[in-house]
Amino acid sequence: MTKIVVLGAGIAGHVAASHLRRKLSREHEVVVVSPNGNYQWIPSNIWVGIGRMKPRDILFPLAPLYAKKHIDFKQAKAVSFHPEGDSQEIKPYILAEYVAGNENGTQEKVTYDYLINATGPKLNFEATEGLSPGKNKAHSVCTYTHAQEAWIALEGLIKQMKEGKKTRILIGTGHAKSTCQGAAFEYILNVEQELRRHKVRDMAEITWISNEYHLGDFGMDGMLLSYGSDIMKSKEMVEMIFEDRGIRWILGAGVHKVEDGVAHYETLDGEYKQESYDFAMLIPSFSGHGFKAYDKNGGDITDKLFKGFMIVDADYSPKPYEEWTVQDWPETYQNPSYANIFAPGIAFAPPHGISKPRKSKNGTDITPAPPRTGMPSGITAKLVADNIIGMIKNPNHDLHHKGSMGNMGAACIASAGFGMTKGSGISITTYPIVPDFKKYPDTHGRKLGKTFGTIGLAGHWLKLALHHAFLYKAKMKPFWWLIPE
Amino acid sequence: MTRRISKFKRFVMMNPIIQFFKFIYLSIKVLVIVAGGHGGTRNA
Ligand SMILES: Cc1cc2nc3c(=O)[nH]c(=O)nc-3n(C[C@H](O)[C@H](O)[C@H](O)COP(=O)(O)OP(=O)(O)OC[C@H]3O[C@@H](n4cnc5c(N)ncnc54)[C@H](O)[C@@H]3O)c2cc1C
Repeated sequence: MTKIVVLGAGIAGHVAASHLRRKLSREHEVVVVSPNGNYQWIPSNIWVGIGRMKPRDILFPLAPLYAKKHIDFKQAKAVSFHPEGDSQEIKPYILAEYVAGNENGTQEKVTYDYLINATGPKLNFEATEGLSPGKNKAHSVCTYTHAQEAWIALEGLIKQMKEGKKTRILIGTGHAKSTCQGAAFEYILNVEQELRRHKVRDMAEITWISNEYHLGDFGMDGMLLSYGSDIMKSKEMVEMIFEDRGIRWILGAGVHKVEDGVAHYETLDGEYKQESYDFAMLIPSFSGHGFKAYDKNGGDITDKLFKGFMIVDADYSPKPYEEWTVQDWPETYQNPSYANIFAPGIAFAPPHGISKPRKSKNGTDITPAPPRTGMPSGITAKLVADNIIGMIKNPNHDLHHKGSMGNMGAACIASAGFGMTKGSGISITTYPIVPDFKKYPDTHGRKLGKTFGTIGLAGHWLKLALHHAFLYKAKMKPFWWLIPE
Repeated sequence: MTRRISKFKRFVMMNPIIQFFKFIYLSIKVLVIVAGGHGGTRNA
Protein backbone atom coordinates (compact mmCIF):
# COMPACT_ATOMS: atom_id res chain seq x y z
CA MET A 1 0.00 0.00 0.00
CA THR A 2 1.30 3.44 -0.96
CA LYS A 3 0.31 6.77 0.53
CA ILE A 4 0.42 9.82 -1.70
CA VAL A 5 -0.04 13.21 -0.07
CA VAL A 6 -1.03 16.17 -2.22
CA LEU A 7 -0.54 19.64 -0.76
CA GLY A 8 -3.01 22.12 -2.22
CA ALA A 9 -6.33 21.66 -3.97
CA GLY A 10 -6.01 24.29 -6.67
CA ILE A 11 -5.81 23.43 -10.36
CA ALA A 12 -2.58 21.38 -10.01
CA GLY A 13 -3.35 19.65 -6.69
CA HIS A 14 -6.89 18.74 -7.62
CA VAL A 15 -5.92 17.44 -11.06
CA ALA A 16 -3.17 15.30 -9.50
CA ALA A 17 -5.41 13.92 -6.75
CA SER A 18 -8.29 13.14 -9.09
CA HIS A 19 -6.12 11.32 -11.63
CA LEU A 20 -4.30 9.38 -8.90
CA ARG A 21 -7.60 8.30 -7.41
CA ARG A 22 -9.03 7.26 -10.76
CA LYS A 23 -5.99 5.26 -11.81
CA LEU A 24 -4.91 3.68 -8.52
CA SER A 25 -6.76 0.90 -6.74
CA ARG A 26 -8.23 1.65 -3.33
CA GLU A 27 -5.43 -0.15 -1.48
CA HIS A 28 -3.42 3.00 -2.18
CA GLU A 29 -4.20 6.09 -0.16
CA VAL A 30 -4.59 9.57 -1.69
CA VAL A 31 -4.60 12.38 0.87
CA VAL A 32 -5.18 16.05 0.07
CA VAL A 33 -4.05 18.70 2.56
CA SER A 34 -5.35 22.18 1.74
CA PRO A 35 -6.45 25.14 3.87
CA ASN A 36 -9.33 26.23 1.65
CA GLY A 37 -12.40 23.97 1.98
CA ASN A 38 -13.54 25.02 -1.50
CA TYR A 39 -12.29 24.37 -5.00
CA GLN A 40 -12.34 27.60 -6.98
CA TRP A 41 -12.12 28.05 -10.74
CA ILE A 42 -9.79 31.05 -10.48
CA PRO A 43 -10.05 32.27 -14.12
CA SER A 44 -13.71 33.19 -13.54
CA ASN A 45 -12.78 35.50 -10.65
CA ILE A 46 -12.63 38.19 -13.32
CA TRP A 47 -16.40 37.91 -13.72
CA VAL A 48 -16.93 37.96 -9.96
CA GLY A 49 -14.92 41.19 -9.92
CA ILE A 50 -17.40 42.85 -12.30
CA GLY A 51 -20.48 41.45 -10.59
CA ARG A 52 -21.50 39.17 -13.47
CA MET A 53 -20.92 36.01 -11.44
CA LYS A 54 -21.22 35.27 -7.73
CA PRO A 55 -18.51 33.39 -5.81
CA ARG A 56 -20.93 30.45 -5.53
CA ASP A 57 -20.90 30.15 -9.35
CA ILE A 58 -17.18 29.46 -9.43
CA LEU A 59 -16.61 27.24 -6.38
CA PHE A 60 -17.79 24.06 -4.70
CA PRO A 61 -16.93 22.42 -1.37
CA LEU A 62 -14.24 19.76 -1.56
CA ALA A 63 -15.06 17.63 1.49
CA PRO A 64 -18.24 15.95 0.12
CA LEU A 65 -16.62 15.24 -3.26
CA TYR A 66 -13.48 13.80 -1.71
CA ALA A 67 -15.52 11.69 0.74
CA LYS A 68 -17.49 10.24 -2.19
CA LYS A 69 -14.35 9.58 -4.24
CA HIS A 70 -12.35 8.06 -1.36
CA ILE A 71 -9.80 10.82 -1.22
CA ASP A 72 -8.84 11.69 2.35
CA PHE A 73 -9.15 15.46 2.88
CA LYS A 74 -7.50 17.43 5.64
CA GLN A 75 -8.45 21.09 5.78
CA ALA A 76 -5.06 22.14 6.97
CA LYS A 77 -2.00 24.02 5.83
CA ALA A 78 1.46 22.54 5.45
CA VAL A 79 3.83 24.17 7.91
CA SER A 80 7.15 22.36 7.46
CA PHE A 81 8.70 19.54 5.44
CA HIS A 82 10.49 16.55 6.97
CA PRO A 83 11.56 14.40 4.00
CA GLU A 84 13.62 12.03 6.20
CA GLY A 85 11.21 11.82 9.14
CA ASP A 86 12.67 12.59 12.56
CA SER A 87 13.91 10.84 15.70
CA GLN A 88 10.39 9.54 16.47
CA GLU A 89 8.93 9.12 12.99
CA ILE A 90 10.86 7.01 10.51
CA LYS A 91 8.66 7.86 7.54
CA PRO A 92 8.94 11.19 5.72
CA TYR A 93 6.21 13.59 6.69
CA ILE A 94 4.90 17.11 6.44
CA LEU A 95 3.76 18.95 9.51
CA ALA A 96 0.25 20.24 8.88
CA GLU A 97 -1.89 22.56 10.96
CA TYR A 98 -5.67 22.28 10.79
CA VAL A 99 -7.45 25.54 9.96
CA ALA A 100 -11.08 24.50 10.46
CA GLY A 101 -13.36 22.14 12.36
CA ASN A 102 -12.84 20.61 15.79
CA GLU A 103 -9.14 20.15 15.17
CA ASN A 104 -8.59 23.84 14.28
CA GLY A 105 -5.11 24.89 15.42
CA THR A 106 -3.85 21.37 16.12
CA GLN A 107 -0.84 20.03 14.27
CA GLU A 108 -0.39 16.59 12.72
CA LYS A 109 2.53 14.77 11.16
CA VAL A 110 1.14 13.61 7.82
CA THR A 111 3.42 10.81 6.62
CA TYR A 112 3.79 9.92 2.95
CA ASP A 113 5.48 7.67 0.44
CA TYR A 114 5.12 10.28 -2.30
CA LEU A 115 4.52 14.00 -1.86
CA ILE A 116 3.09 16.38 -4.43
CA ASN A 117 3.61 20.00 -3.46
CA ALA A 118 0.94 21.92 -5.39
CA THR A 119 0.64 24.86 -3.03
CA GLY A 120 0.79 27.44 -5.84
CA PRO A 121 1.93 30.95 -4.99
CA LYS A 122 1.75 33.03 -1.85
CA LEU A 123 0.04 36.29 -2.83
CA ASN A 124 2.83 38.51 -1.58
CA PHE A 125 0.98 41.77 -0.92
CA GLU A 126 3.50 42.69 1.81
CA ALA A 127 6.20 43.15 -0.82
CA THR A 128 4.51 46.42 -1.84
CA GLU A 129 4.07 48.94 0.96
CA GLY A 130 0.40 49.71 1.53
CA LEU A 131 -0.90 47.09 -0.92
CA SER A 132 -3.53 44.93 0.72
CA PRO A 133 -6.81 43.85 -0.86
CA GLY A 134 -9.53 46.37 -0.06
CA LYS A 135 -7.18 48.93 1.52
CA ASN A 136 -6.21 52.31 0.05
CA LYS A 137 -8.91 51.83 -2.63
CA ALA A 138 -6.72 49.12 -4.19
CA HIS A 139 -8.18 45.68 -4.82
CA SER A 140 -7.27 42.23 -6.08
CA VAL A 141 -9.12 39.54 -8.06
CA CYS A 142 -6.74 36.73 -7.13
CA THR A 143 -9.29 34.93 -4.94
CA TYR A 144 -13.08 34.92 -5.05
CA THR A 145 -13.24 36.87 -1.77
CA HIS A 146 -10.93 39.56 -3.15
CA ALA A 147 -12.90 39.66 -6.40
CA GLN A 148 -16.19 40.03 -4.54
CA GLU A 149 -14.76 42.93 -2.51
CA ALA A 150 -13.45 44.51 -5.72
CA TRP A 151 -16.93 44.37 -7.23
CA ILE A 152 -18.55 45.97 -4.18
CA ALA A 153 -16.09 48.88 -4.46
CA LEU A 154 -16.51 49.17 -8.22
CA GLU A 155 -20.30 49.08 -7.93
CA GLY A 156 -20.11 51.95 -5.45
CA LEU A 157 -17.94 53.91 -7.86
CA ILE A 158 -20.35 53.27 -10.75
CA LYS A 159 -23.12 54.77 -8.59
CA GLN A 160 -20.99 57.86 -7.99
CA MET A 161 -20.29 58.14 -11.72
CA LYS A 162 -24.01 57.98 -12.40
CA GLU A 163 -24.35 60.92 -10.02
CA GLY A 164 -21.81 62.83 -12.09
CA LYS A 165 -18.45 62.12 -10.48
CA LYS A 166 -15.46 61.90 -12.82
CA THR A 167 -13.19 59.05 -11.79
CA ARG A 168 -9.81 57.47 -12.42
CA ILE A 169 -9.36 53.72 -12.59
CA LEU A 170 -5.95 52.06 -12.45
CA ILE A 171 -5.44 48.38 -13.26
CA GLY A 172 -2.30 46.32 -13.70
CA THR A 173 0.62 45.05 -11.67
CA GLY A 174 1.33 46.10 -8.10
CA HIS A 175 5.01 45.19 -7.93
CA ALA A 176 8.11 45.47 -10.11
CA LYS A 177 8.26 41.67 -10.40
CA SER A 178 4.57 40.74 -10.55
CA THR A 179 3.35 38.09 -12.95
CA CYS A 180 -0.21 37.27 -14.10
CA GLN A 181 -0.50 40.33 -16.38
CA GLY A 182 -3.06 38.27 -18.31
CA ALA A 183 -5.54 38.38 -15.43
CA ALA A 184 -5.14 42.15 -15.04
CA PHE A 185 -5.52 42.54 -18.81
CA GLU A 186 -8.81 40.63 -18.71
CA TYR A 187 -10.01 42.65 -15.77
CA ILE A 188 -9.30 46.05 -17.34
CA LEU A 189 -11.22 45.12 -20.49
CA ASN A 190 -14.14 43.72 -18.49
CA VAL A 191 -14.29 46.82 -16.30
CA GLU A 192 -14.22 49.02 -19.41
CA GLN A 193 -17.09 47.07 -20.95
CA GLU A 194 -19.13 47.18 -17.73
CA LEU A 195 -18.75 50.97 -17.58
CA ARG A 196 -20.13 51.15 -21.10
CA ARG A 197 -23.01 48.86 -20.12
CA HIS A 198 -23.80 51.16 -17.23
CA LYS A 199 -23.48 54.14 -19.59
CA VAL A 200 -20.78 55.82 -17.50
CA ARG A 201 -17.75 55.11 -19.68
CA ASP A 202 -17.22 58.82 -20.34
CA MET A 203 -16.99 59.46 -16.60
CA ALA A 204 -13.83 57.38 -16.12
CA GLU A 205 -10.24 57.60 -17.24
CA ILE A 206 -8.92 54.05 -17.36
CA THR A 207 -5.18 53.41 -17.12
CA TRP A 208 -3.09 50.25 -17.47
CA ILE A 209 0.03 50.19 -15.32
CA SER A 210 2.49 47.36 -15.77
CA ASN A 211 6.02 46.16 -15.21
CA GLU A 212 6.08 44.96 -18.84
CA TYR A 213 8.49 46.71 -21.21
CA HIS A 214 6.06 46.32 -24.11
CA LEU A 215 2.32 45.90 -24.09
CA GLY A 216 1.44 42.25 -24.65
CA ASP A 217 4.62 40.94 -23.02
CA PHE A 218 2.53 38.95 -20.51
CA GLY A 219 5.72 37.74 -18.80
CA MET A 220 6.33 35.61 -21.89
CA ASP A 221 8.59 38.03 -23.76
CA GLY A 222 5.70 38.87 -26.05
CA MET A 223 4.74 36.80 -29.04
CA LEU A 224 4.73 36.99 -32.77
CA LEU A 225 1.36 35.64 -33.75
CA SER A 226 -0.78 34.81 -36.71
CA TYR A 227 -3.76 37.16 -36.68
CA GLY A 228 -6.14 36.27 -39.49
CA SER A 229 -4.08 36.56 -42.65
CA ASP A 230 -1.63 38.92 -40.89
CA ILE A 231 1.38 38.30 -38.71
CA MET A 232 1.42 40.61 -35.74
CA LYS A 233 3.31 41.15 -32.52
CA SER A 234 1.28 40.73 -29.33
CA LYS A 235 2.39 44.32 -28.58
CA GLU A 236 0.56 45.56 -31.68
CA MET A 237 -2.50 43.52 -30.88
CA VAL A 238 -2.83 44.82 -27.31
CA GLU A 239 -2.05 48.37 -28.45
CA MET A 240 -4.85 48.08 -31.00
CA ILE A 241 -7.27 46.86 -28.33
CA PHE A 242 -6.34 49.55 -25.81
CA GLU A 243 -6.63 52.27 -28.47
CA ASP A 244 -10.02 50.89 -29.43
CA ARG A 245 -11.22 50.91 -25.82
CA GLY A 246 -9.70 54.30 -24.96
CA ILE A 247 -7.35 52.89 -22.33
CA ARG A 248 -4.07 54.72 -21.67
CA TRP A 249 -1.00 52.83 -20.52
CA ILE A 250 2.11 53.17 -18.35
CA LEU A 251 4.83 50.61 -18.97
CA GLY A 252 8.08 49.61 -17.25
CA ALA A 253 6.54 50.63 -13.94
CA GLY A 254 7.62 49.06 -10.67
CA VAL A 255 4.89 49.94 -8.19
CA HIS A 256 6.53 50.03 -4.74
CA LYS A 257 4.07 51.88 -2.52
CA VAL A 258 0.34 52.40 -2.38
CA GLU A 259 -1.34 55.13 -0.35
CA ASP A 260 -5.01 56.05 -0.20
CA GLY A 261 -5.79 56.52 -3.90
CA VAL A 262 -2.16 56.92 -5.00
CA ALA A 263 0.22 54.37 -6.52
CA HIS A 264 3.92 55.23 -6.35
CA TYR A 265 6.14 53.66 -8.98
CA GLU A 266 9.65 53.70 -10.32
CA THR A 267 10.29 53.76 -14.07
CA LEU A 268 13.06 52.09 -16.02
CA ASP A 269 14.56 55.58 -16.45
CA GLY A 270 14.99 55.65 -12.69
CA GLU A 271 12.32 58.30 -12.12
CA TYR A 272 9.89 58.09 -9.22
CA LYS A 273 6.33 58.93 -10.21
CA GLN A 274 2.83 58.56 -8.91
CA GLU A 275 -0.60 57.91 -10.31
CA SER A 276 -3.82 58.77 -8.50
CA TYR A 277 -6.98 56.72 -8.72
CA ASP A 278 -10.45 56.21 -7.27
CA PHE A 279 -10.37 52.45 -7.82
CA ALA A 280 -7.38 50.22 -8.50
CA MET A 281 -6.86 46.52 -9.08
CA LEU A 282 -3.19 45.67 -8.75
CA ILE A 283 -1.82 42.13 -8.96
CA PRO A 284 0.71 41.53 -6.17
CA SER A 285 3.98 39.72 -6.65
CA PHE A 286 3.85 35.95 -6.17
CA SER A 287 6.33 34.21 -3.91
CA GLY A 288 6.93 30.84 -2.31
CA HIS A 289 5.18 30.20 1.00
CA GLY A 290 8.38 30.40 3.06
CA PHE A 291 8.23 26.73 4.09
CA LYS A 292 11.09 25.31 6.14
CA ALA A 293 12.51 21.80 5.71
CA TYR A 294 14.41 19.67 8.24
CA ASP A 295 16.45 16.47 8.07
CA LYS A 296 15.99 13.57 10.46
CA ASN A 297 18.20 15.21 13.08
CA GLY A 298 16.28 18.47 12.92
CA GLY A 299 18.97 20.21 10.82
CA ASP A 300 17.71 22.92 8.48
CA ILE A 301 17.72 21.64 4.86
CA THR A 302 15.39 24.28 3.42
CA ASP A 303 17.85 25.06 0.62
CA LYS A 304 17.66 21.43 -0.61
CA LEU A 305 13.96 21.83 -1.20
CA PHE A 306 13.30 25.48 -1.79
CA LYS A 307 14.58 28.40 -3.75
CA GLY A 308 11.59 30.55 -2.90
CA PHE A 309 9.40 28.00 -4.70
CA MET A 310 10.28 24.29 -4.72
CA ILE A 311 13.46 23.11 -6.42
CA VAL A 312 12.83 20.63 -9.24
CA ASP A 313 14.75 19.23 -12.23
CA ALA A 314 15.51 22.66 -13.73
CA ASP A 315 18.92 24.13 -14.48
CA TYR A 316 19.23 26.89 -11.90
CA SER A 317 22.75 28.00 -12.75
CA PRO A 318 22.68 31.78 -13.20
CA LYS A 319 23.19 32.89 -16.79
CA PRO A 320 22.47 35.95 -18.93
CA TYR A 321 19.29 36.23 -21.00
CA GLU A 322 21.20 35.48 -24.22
CA GLU A 323 22.18 32.05 -22.85
CA TRP A 324 18.77 30.98 -21.60
CA THR A 325 17.50 27.85 -23.34
CA VAL A 326 14.39 25.71 -23.17
CA GLN A 327 16.57 22.94 -21.74
CA ASP A 328 16.82 24.97 -18.51
CA TRP A 329 13.13 24.31 -17.86
CA PRO A 330 12.04 21.26 -15.85
CA GLU A 331 10.56 18.16 -17.45
CA THR A 332 9.39 15.96 -14.57
CA TYR A 333 9.04 18.41 -11.64
CA GLN A 334 10.90 15.99 -9.36
CA ASN A 335 13.03 17.35 -6.54
CA PRO A 336 16.67 16.35 -7.22
CA SER A 337 17.41 15.60 -3.53
CA TYR A 338 14.29 13.59 -2.71
CA ALA A 339 12.99 11.44 -5.57
CA ASN A 340 9.56 11.04 -3.95
CA ILE A 341 8.79 14.77 -3.91
CA PHE A 342 7.32 16.64 -6.90
CA ALA A 343 6.09 20.19 -7.49
CA PRO A 344 3.75 20.85 -10.46
CA GLY A 345 1.83 24.05 -11.25
CA ILE A 346 3.03 27.33 -9.81
CA ALA A 347 4.73 25.62 -6.85
CA PHE A 348 7.98 24.85 -8.71
CA ALA A 349 10.86 27.32 -8.84
CA PRO A 350 11.39 28.45 -12.44
CA PRO A 351 15.03 28.49 -13.60
CA HIS A 352 14.71 32.15 -14.62
CA GLY A 353 12.26 34.47 -16.28
CA ILE A 354 10.94 34.28 -19.82
CA SER A 355 10.80 38.02 -20.52
CA LYS A 356 14.07 39.83 -21.08
CA PRO A 357 15.18 41.09 -17.66
CA ARG A 358 15.45 44.84 -17.25
CA LYS A 359 16.75 47.03 -14.45
CA SER A 360 15.94 50.65 -13.74
CA LYS A 361 18.76 53.20 -13.64
CA ASN A 362 18.65 52.79 -9.86
CA GLY A 363 19.27 49.05 -10.19
CA THR A 364 15.70 47.89 -9.44
CA ASP A 365 14.61 44.81 -11.37
CA ILE A 366 11.47 45.77 -13.26
CA THR A 367 10.58 42.60 -15.15
CA PRO A 368 7.53 40.37 -15.18
CA ALA A 369 8.06 37.00 -13.48
CA PRO A 370 7.24 33.97 -15.66
CA PRO A 371 3.57 33.01 -15.61
CA ARG A 372 2.38 29.44 -15.14
CA THR A 373 -1.21 29.45 -16.27
CA GLY A 374 -3.96 26.93 -15.71
CA MET A 375 -3.22 24.68 -18.65
CA PRO A 376 0.45 23.98 -17.87
CA SER A 377 -0.49 23.67 -14.19
CA GLY A 378 -2.96 20.92 -15.07
CA ILE A 379 -0.67 19.20 -17.57
CA THR A 380 2.32 19.14 -15.20
CA ALA A 381 0.12 17.83 -12.36
CA LYS A 382 -1.21 15.00 -14.53
CA LEU A 383 2.24 13.95 -15.69
CA VAL A 384 3.50 13.97 -12.10
CA ALA A 385 0.56 11.73 -11.12
CA ASP A 386 1.35 9.41 -14.05
CA ASN A 387 5.03 9.18 -13.09
CA ILE A 388 4.15 8.40 -9.46
CA ILE A 389 1.79 5.66 -10.64
CA GLY A 390 4.64 4.34 -12.79
CA MET A 391 7.00 4.38 -9.80
CA ILE A 392 4.46 2.56 -7.61
CA LYS A 393 3.96 -0.13 -10.22
CA ASN A 394 7.62 -0.43 -11.14
CA PRO A 395 10.31 0.93 -8.80
CA ASN A 396 12.72 1.16 -11.78
CA HIS A 397 10.32 3.43 -13.66
CA ASP A 398 12.26 6.05 -15.59
CA LEU A 399 9.81 8.97 -15.27
CA HIS A 400 9.02 8.88 -18.97
CA HIS A 401 6.08 11.27 -18.66
CA LYS A 402 7.66 14.61 -19.44
CA GLY A 403 6.32 18.04 -20.07
CA SER A 404 8.65 20.98 -20.36
CA MET A 405 7.09 24.40 -20.85
CA GLY A 406 9.58 24.61 -23.72
CA ASN A 407 7.73 21.77 -25.45
CA MET A 408 4.14 22.46 -24.54
CA GLY A 409 1.46 24.70 -25.97
CA ALA A 410 -0.95 26.82 -23.98
CA ALA A 411 -4.28 28.31 -24.82
CA CYS A 412 -5.22 31.51 -23.10
CA ILE A 413 -8.71 32.77 -23.67
CA ALA A 414 -8.74 36.24 -22.20
CA SER A 415 -12.15 37.62 -21.46
CA ALA A 416 -12.62 41.10 -22.88
CA GLY A 417 -16.19 41.60 -21.74
CA PHE A 418 -19.12 39.55 -20.48
CA GLY A 419 -22.39 38.92 -22.35
CA MET A 420 -23.91 36.35 -24.70
CA THR A 421 -24.31 38.91 -27.50
CA LYS A 422 -22.12 41.82 -26.37
CA GLY A 423 -19.27 39.83 -24.84
CA SER A 424 -15.83 39.43 -26.30
CA GLY A 425 -12.73 37.35 -25.80
CA ILE A 426 -9.18 37.47 -27.01
CA SER A 427 -8.11 33.95 -27.79
CA ILE A 428 -4.37 33.43 -27.86
CA THR A 429 -2.53 30.16 -28.20
CA THR A 430 1.21 29.91 -27.81
CA TYR A 431 3.55 27.12 -28.79
CA PRO A 432 5.85 26.61 -27.03
CA ILE A 433 5.15 28.56 -23.85
CA VAL A 434 8.87 29.16 -23.28
CA PRO A 435 10.27 30.39 -26.59
CA ASP A 436 12.69 28.03 -28.31
CA PHE A 437 14.98 30.37 -30.23
CA LYS A 438 16.99 27.51 -31.73
CA LYS A 439 13.99 25.73 -33.21
CA TYR A 440 12.12 28.85 -34.28
CA PRO A 441 14.82 31.50 -34.76
CA ASP A 442 12.86 33.69 -37.17
CA THR A 443 9.57 33.84 -35.33
CA HIS A 444 10.71 34.92 -31.86
CA GLY A 445 11.04 31.34 -30.60
CA ARG A 446 7.50 30.25 -31.37
CA LYS A 447 5.74 28.32 -34.11
CA LEU A 448 3.46 30.56 -36.14
CA GLY A 449 0.03 29.10 -36.73
CA LYS A 450 0.19 27.31 -33.40
CA THR A 451 0.83 30.76 -31.94
CA PHE A 452 -2.15 32.80 -32.98
CA GLY A 453 -4.57 35.40 -31.74
CA THR A 454 -8.11 36.35 -32.57
CA ILE A 455 -10.70 38.69 -31.08
CA GLY A 456 -14.47 38.41 -30.93
CA LEU A 457 -17.68 37.17 -29.43
CA ALA A 458 -16.66 33.53 -30.00
CA GLY A 459 -13.84 34.06 -27.49
CA HIS A 460 -16.37 34.92 -24.81
CA TRP A 461 -18.46 31.85 -25.58
CA LEU A 462 -15.35 29.71 -25.48
CA LYS A 463 -14.26 31.15 -22.13
CA LEU A 464 -17.75 30.51 -20.74
CA ALA A 465 -17.78 26.97 -22.17
CA LEU A 466 -14.39 26.33 -20.53
CA HIS A 467 -15.72 27.66 -17.21
CA HIS A 468 -18.53 25.07 -17.28
CA ALA A 469 -16.36 22.27 -18.69
CA PHE A 470 -13.59 22.69 -16.11
CA LEU A 471 -16.02 22.89 -13.20
CA TYR A 472 -17.71 19.73 -14.52
CA LYS A 473 -14.32 18.06 -14.71
CA ALA A 474 -13.28 19.28 -11.25
CA LYS A 475 -16.50 17.91 -9.79
CA MET A 476 -15.44 14.54 -11.24
CA LYS A 477 -18.78 14.01 -12.94
CA PRO A 478 -19.19 11.09 -15.41
CA PHE A 479 -16.35 10.86 -17.95
CA TRP A 480 -14.66 13.93 -16.48
CA TRP A 481 -11.25 12.57 -17.47
CA LEU A 482 -12.13 12.89 -21.18
CA ILE A 483 -11.85 16.68 -20.82
CA PRO A 484 -8.20 17.52 -21.37
CA GLU A 485 -6.20 19.65 -18.93
CA MET B 1 1.05 54.25 -35.94
CA THR B 2 -1.22 51.96 -33.94
CA ARG B 3 -3.51 49.66 -35.89
CA ARG B 4 -7.22 50.29 -35.54
CA ILE B 5 -10.17 47.92 -35.62
CA SER B 6 -12.13 48.76 -38.76
CA LYS B 7 -15.93 48.88 -38.89
CA PHE B 8 -15.95 45.73 -40.98
CA LYS B 9 -13.64 43.87 -38.59
CA ARG B 10 -15.87 44.90 -35.68
CA PHE B 11 -18.90 43.59 -37.54
CA VAL B 12 -17.16 40.25 -38.07
CA MET B 13 -16.03 40.14 -34.41
CA MET B 14 -19.54 40.66 -33.06
CA ASN B 15 -21.76 38.94 -35.65
CA PRO B 16 -23.27 35.93 -33.87
CA ILE B 17 -23.58 33.79 -37.01
CA ILE B 18 -20.00 34.32 -38.14
CA GLN B 19 -18.86 33.95 -34.55
CA PHE B 20 -20.75 30.68 -34.14
CA PHE B 21 -18.57 29.13 -36.86
CA LYS B 22 -15.54 30.82 -35.33
CA PHE B 23 -16.45 29.24 -32.00
CA ILE B 24 -16.43 25.76 -33.54
CA TYR B 25 -13.18 26.49 -35.37
CA LEU B 26 -11.56 27.89 -32.22
CA SER B 27 -12.68 24.97 -30.03
CA ILE B 28 -11.14 22.52 -32.48
CA LYS B 29 -7.96 24.58 -32.88
CA VAL B 30 -7.49 24.82 -29.10
CA LEU B 31 -8.16 21.09 -28.71
CA VAL B 32 -5.60 20.28 -31.40
CA ILE B 33 -2.98 22.37 -29.60
CA VAL B 34 -3.77 20.72 -26.28
CA ALA B 35 -3.94 17.25 -27.79
CA GLY B 36 -0.78 18.08 -29.77
CA GLY B 37 0.98 16.78 -26.69
CA HIS B 38 4.02 17.81 -24.76
CA GLY B 39 7.33 16.32 -23.89
CA GLY B 40 10.86 16.93 -22.75
CA THR B 41 13.43 19.10 -24.47
CA ARG B 42 16.70 17.60 -23.32
CA ASN B 43 16.83 14.43 -25.41
CA ALA B 44 14.78 15.81 -28.28
C1 LIG C 1 -7.52 36.33 -11.49
C2 LIG C 1 -6.81 35.23 -12.20
C3 LIG C 1 -7.24 34.84 -13.46
C4 LIG C 1 -6.60 33.82 -14.13
N1 LIG C 1 -7.05 33.46 -15.36
C5 LIG C 1 -6.48 32.45 -16.00
C6 LIG C 1 -6.96 32.03 -17.28
O1 LIG C 1 -7.88 32.61 -17.83
N2 LIG C 1 -6.37 30.97 -17.86
C7 LIG C 1 -5.34 30.30 -17.27
O2 LIG C 1 -4.86 29.35 -17.84
N3 LIG C 1 -4.85 30.66 -16.07
C8 LIG C 1 -5.40 31.72 -15.43
N4 LIG C 1 -4.91 32.11 -14.22
C9 LIG C 1 -3.79 31.37 -13.64
C10 LIG C 1 -4.27 30.11 -12.94
O3 LIG C 1 -5.28 30.43 -12.02
C11 LIG C 1 -3.09 29.45 -12.24
O4 LIG C 1 -2.19 29.06 -13.23
C12 LIG C 1 -3.46 28.22 -11.46
O5 LIG C 1 -4.43 28.52 -10.50
C13 LIG C 1 -2.24 27.60 -10.81
O6 LIG C 1 -2.61 26.42 -10.19
P1 LIG C 1 -1.86 25.87 -8.89
O7 LIG C 1 -2.63 24.67 -8.49
O8 LIG C 1 -0.42 25.75 -9.16
O9 LIG C 1 -2.03 27.01 -7.80
P2 LIG C 1 -3.39 27.48 -7.08
O10 LIG C 1 -4.54 27.35 -8.00
O11 LIG C 1 -3.08 28.81 -6.50
O12 LIG C 1 -3.58 26.43 -5.89
C14 LIG C 1 -2.78 26.40 -4.76
C15 LIG C 1 -3.46 25.56 -3.70
O13 LIG C 1 -2.58 25.40 -2.60
C16 LIG C 1 -3.28 25.65 -1.40
N5 LIG C 1 -2.31 26.06 -0.39
C17 LIG C 1 -1.79 27.27 -0.16
N6 LIG C 1 -0.96 27.23 0.91
C18 LIG C 1 -0.95 25.95 1.34
C19 LIG C 1 -0.29 25.28 2.42
N7 LIG C 1 0.53 25.91 3.27
N8 LIG C 1 -0.52 23.95 2.57
C20 LIG C 1 -1.35 23.27 1.74
N9 LIG C 1 -2.00 23.87 0.72
C21 LIG C 1 -1.80 25.19 0.53
C22 LIG C 1 -4.29 26.74 -1.80
O14 LIG C 1 -5.35 26.80 -0.86
C23 LIG C 1 -4.73 26.21 -3.15
O15 LIG C 1 -5.72 25.22 -2.99
C24 LIG C 1 -5.50 33.16 -13.53
C25 LIG C 1 -5.05 33.56 -12.27
C26 LIG C 1 -5.68 34.60 -11.62
C27 LIG C 1 -5.18 35.03 -10.26
